Amino acid sequence: MKILVCITHVPDTTARIAFTDNNTRFDKTGVQYIIGPYDDYALARAVELKEQLGGSITALNVGGSETEPTIRKALAIGADDAVRVDAEPTDSFFVANQIAHVARDGHYDLILMGRESIDYNGGQVHGMVGELLGIPSVSPVMTLIVEGQKVKMTREIEGGKEFVEADMPLVAGCQEPIAEWKIPNMRGIMSARTKPLHVVAPVSDEQRTHVGSYELLPPKAGVKLVDPNDMAGLVNLLKNEAKVI
Amino acid sequence: MAYDYFNPGTLRFFLFDVHGADGLLAAGRYSHFDREAIGMLLDTLTDFSDRELYPYLREMDREPAYYRDGKIFVHPQFEKIFRMAGELGLIGASFDEEKGGMQLPSLVVNALYFIMEAANNHVTGYLGLTAGAANLILSFGNDELKKKYVPPMLSMEWGGTMCLTEPQAGSSLSDITTMAHPTESGHYLLRGQKVFISAGDHPYAENFVHLVLARLPDAPAGTKGISLFVVPKYRPDDTGRMEDNHVTVAGEFDKLGQRGYCTTHLVFGETGDCHGWLLGEAHQGLGYMFQLMNEARIATGRMGLGIASAAYYASLRYARERPQGRKLPTAGTKEIGAPQTPIVNHPDIRRMLLSQKAIVEGSLSLVLQTSYYVDKTRIATGTEKDNYELLLELLTPVVKTYPAEAGFQAVNQGLQILGGYGYMQDFELQQYLRDMRIISIYEGTTGIQSLDLLGRKMTMKNGAAFKALAREIQTVMEMAHGYDDLRVYAGQLGETLQATQQVLQTLLPHLLAGDQERYLADATVFMEMFGLLVVGWQWLKTGVTAKKGGSFEPDFYEAKLHTLKYFFHYELTKTTGLTAILLNREGLTLSSQPDYFD
Ligand SMILES: Cc1cc2nc3c(=O)[nH]c(=O)nc-3n(C[C@H](O)[C@H](O)[C@H](O)COP(=O)(O)OP(=O)(O)OC[C@H]3O[C@@H](n4cnc5c(N)ncnc54)[C@H](O)[C@@H]3O)c2cc1C
Repeated sequence: MKILVCITHVPDTTARIAFTDNNTRFDKTGVQYIIGPYDDYALARAVELKEQLGGSITALNVGGSETEPTIRKALAIGADDAVRVDAEPTDSFFVANQIAHVARDGHYDLILMGRESIDYNGGQVHGMVGELLGIPSVSPVMTLIVEGQKVKMTREIEGGKEFVEADMPLVAGCQEPIAEWKIPNMRGIMSARTKPLHVVAPVSDEQRTHVGSYELLPPKAGVKLVDPNDMAGLVNLLKNEAKVI
Repeated sequence: MAYDYFNPGTLRFFLFDVHGADGLLAAGRYSHFDREAIGMLLDTLTDFSDRELYPYLREMDREPAYYRDGKIFVHPQFEKIFRMAGELGLIGASFDEEKGGMQLPSLVVNALYFIMEAANNHVTGYLGLTAGAANLILSFGNDELKKKYVPPMLSMEWGGTMCLTEPQAGSSLSDITTMAHPTESGHYLLRGQKVFISAGDHPYAENFVHLVLARLPDAPAGTKGISLFVVPKYRPDDTGRMEDNHVTVAGEFDKLGQRGYCTTHLVFGETGDCHGWLLGEAHQGLGYMFQLMNEARIATGRMGLGIASAAYYASLRYARERPQGRKLPTAGTKEIGAPQTPIVNHPDIRRMLLSQKAIVEGSLSLVLQTSYYVDKTRIATGTEKDNYELLLELLTPVVKTYPAEAGFQAVNQGLQILGGYGYMQDFELQQYLRDMRIISIYEGTTGIQSLDLLGRKMTMKNGAAFKALAREIQTVMEMAHGYDDLRVYAGQLGETLQATQQVLQTLLPHLLAGDQERYLADATVFMEMFGLLVVGWQWLKTGVTAKKGGSFEPDFYEAKLHTLKYFFHYELTKTTGLTAILLNREGLTLSSQPDYFD
């Protein structure tokens, strides 16, 4: 079985978020990057499937050369080789288009990725890739089992779960608990240096959206404590200061 | 990183900039790893610690190891930790590749363990002891022992222990009485008991491999009659079937700290035949054990460093958040009605933070420096190798003791920063204080380390080790002379070095006259002074590195230089008083009489 795992290179969940250039660009100074946590689960499931059924795993990232340490981490965790599409991931369509192109050439049975990236949280790429390739796309997938050519999945839906089946090839946007979280072992880290990492040029520069600017949430306001017996004071504050009643 | 128990930037700075990890990786022995791979290892261990270790630290204290019906139970999270540690390859991390290890530099391995220990100091002992026991079998065992016992230890399916201590033989190992009787089948029959055995039993290993010090019937008295045996809990036969080997778990000790890390009482051979296999030659056991001791002692100091680091960051977080009191006026009158200020704005709180930072980062540097020498002894040859071995011998008791003793003071200051809350179970500081207390006791008490330093290491090979250290210190002093604002500290360190030499010159005549008791009476005071000298050297080295600058923000280097200054003004100056104590000719500790204490 051939599995393509698409990984994002995103700021660590604890990174300080700031913008520059008149709030049009993310400020990368001092930011630590990680594999997107949802992508990490997709990769972990791919490793489990490979252990169970054999086959190969290719990790794919659309990004500049600065993403290579992140890609090599995917190789350390268990991908056999990797492809980096050498381009800034400008919007969901642009990324989906690059992925679809690589996927078409590689004839993958499964294309796994996170349900969304944790930087811009678009959550659209899996759908677009499915559409571009004309294959099913399912998200968010919490369990994924392969039986022959069939894939059985559990989706999280409002207030419950949905059980879905589809034939391969397909695209799945993954989330926990699809697999046990994995860390690379020392041998994996050592061998990641020698596994192939192919750099390819982007196929088109078409993008469908452009970011105007970003805005951070206003800092949390201070808290005022009101004596439990002072009902009038509370009403006054809610009415005249917070203006919520 | 989700929690702050160490600073990843600071660790990288000490690892790569101060101690030149890149240079080591360039050496053939370690060239299968590069800087990026080491970075990935550090990140991986941080992730692992964030997810699997730190969140269980408090629980392991509240739900400690306990004994019931002949068995020891530990926190269930250990099952996952041991499995993941085995998969990661942590047990054989520093072993040679040909022995199934990763052949990572000790410098890196100690950095990785430091991360885990800062996150949760109840865990690494289980891993380190298994690694140590496996390493002894690999170094001195025959092929059969290696084949049978080592692979499941590398994967952490089996645990390892070191069984030295007996009720009547703690510091004094020459007094052990556990016996090993030879049999015609090649194995020995063990009989005796061992107390305080760390990691001696738990449900998450299929078997335990105890490395036991015992005597043969014809053994000469004292340390020269001690042999080392491999004694499994279950004896595996050639088909892999396991037979009970009559190692009885007699109890678990109820401790002040590190309560998740079990400490067991083991009885060998009381309920039936307990088989042991001799490692290496008869009567050489203590020597074999001591070959591992260097690394075990670095590991113990490193564990103290980890706890002190965690306590420092916990107290720093608190100091930044806790509003209490108002800043004292700097010009004129106090502002009435001003809101309370976070306590970090009080100089006395910052004094305690600086003191912790100076001790924690000084200890970190010392641990890495010593690890670097371990690696150098593995790659250097000839006289260069001899030189590194001397340095390592000399620094080993110090790297065990400084982080333990100064680290305890650091944790104590961390607790003080929290005021009354520091004393409460709701905050982790009281746990760190309790956990920390063991570091100056096991793996040889501070008293014993001090005897080793002054009694053996300072005088070995005509003082060659101390001369080698003096050369290293002088090299750093010369580098510091190149920077205007470091020159004065180079001078101060030089004076401390001279004072140490003077103390030694004053004490040595007692030794030459055969009066070891007088020579060693204040060995622990000497250790305190020597520790300050050594850590002063590390801070000056750190200052020189900070002066060179690099990829960190300017504030980062400024803070390092500020801490250096703090260390030299508030800590290193203590050596003046210690020198006076050591030069005092009265020998008051020695001349005091036991009945003075009534
Ligand atoms: C939690 C814990 C875990 C342990 N784990 C292990 C383990 O895994 N394996 C193992 O074999 N042991 C283990 N030990 C034992 C540990 O190494 C000993 O407790 C330690 O070496 C001290 O021995 P003791 O307790 O008998 O103290 P003692 O030797 O009785 O020492 C008491 C005091 O006297 C001082 N003293 C002793 N002799 C001298 C001397 N000649 N000159 C000056 N001062 C002296 C000591 O410094 C100390 O202050 C552990 C102990 C603890 C508490």
